[in-house]
Amino acid sequence: MDYKYIEQLIERYFQCETTLQEEQILSAFFAQNEQEVPEQLRQYQPLFAAMQPEEILDDDFDQRILASIEEPHAVKAHTISMHERLQPLFRAAAVVAIMLTLGNAMNITFKQDRNSDEDINYAAYKDTYDDPAVAYDQMEDALQLISEGFSHVQRSDSVGHDSLYIEVR
Amino acid sequence: MKKIDFRTDVLPLKNELYRLALRITLNPAEAEDTVQDTMLKVWNRREQWDEIESIEAFCLTICRNLALDKVKRTETQNATLDDSHDPPDRSYASNPEEQAVQRDRITLVRRLIDQLPEKQRSCMQLRDIEGKSYKEIANVIGISEQQVKINIFRARQAIRQKYNETENYGL
Repeated sequence: MDYKYIEQLIERYFQCETTLQEEQILSAFFAQNEQEVPEQLRQYQPLFAAMQPEEILDDDFDQRILASIEEPHAVKAHTISMHERLQPLFRAAAVVAIMLTLGNAMNITFKQDRNSDEDINYAAYKDTYDDPAVAYDQMEDALQLISEGFSHVQRSDSVGHDSLYIEVR
Repeated sequence: MKKIDFRTDVLPLKNELYRLALRITLNPAEAEDTVQDTMLKVWNRREQWDEIESIEAFCLTICRNLALDKVKRTETQNATLDDSHDPPDRSYASNPEEQAVQRDRITLVRRLIDQLPEKQRSCMQLRDIEGKSYKEIANVIGISEQQVKINIFRARQAIRQKYNETENYGL
């Protein structure tokens, strides 16, 4: 077998002209069984065999690291449905709704109370007429109506008074 | 850009970060501490993840800086007595098994890498072991691509030379 290529690669390796791929080829070549490597290249084998990554850390190390950072990633992600996620919002909305309802109800009752009070509050009454003469006329008309009503009732009540009434008039 | 998740995107980088930290600090315990600090630092800056171009390069940069800090601190404190990286001419020659010899040679190369200057070590680690492009390495270390290339070139030459020296005369 021809090892010219490998020899060439080794030469270029020591000149720092090899690419990463070529260095991988070399490493793979020397990683094979010692007996398979030809005599003239065997001297290089330890050089490349020493380049195999070896030292590693065990799983205990992982545990320690993860424990020391108290990693929130380690917490299992639990899925929250849309409903669950919006629940606080719903609650807040419900509370607001209840408050509004109660407030409204109270408001209405108080308002009604105040309205009935206002009915007897004569001071709040406003004048209906600007001209005192017109008011006087209206008042007289109203009183006349009442007095007429009275006299009507009286007339139907007692006929005897009729003649007296007419006389007085 | 997709959302970055700590578990799936950052945590799996731990081994890569660890190897880089180990390459710089040359001490497994220190390297592990460095990776831990890196992870925490990255985690604490999670608000900025969206603005980061490459989380991997970001982590590597932080890791390298923290490792360098650690090295500096230990250097000022005391000379390390832990001589696990003593000269590479120890016992491999005395082992009669060919396979064991081969393993020892690999260990030797690793030690040789550890003896390189930090920049060359980091560049070589990222290129030859983690398989990063020159551009990514330049990004992580904060130097130009050309300088990365020079560092890797020097590292490879030094490793080859030292290895040959030890193999031929060091026995």
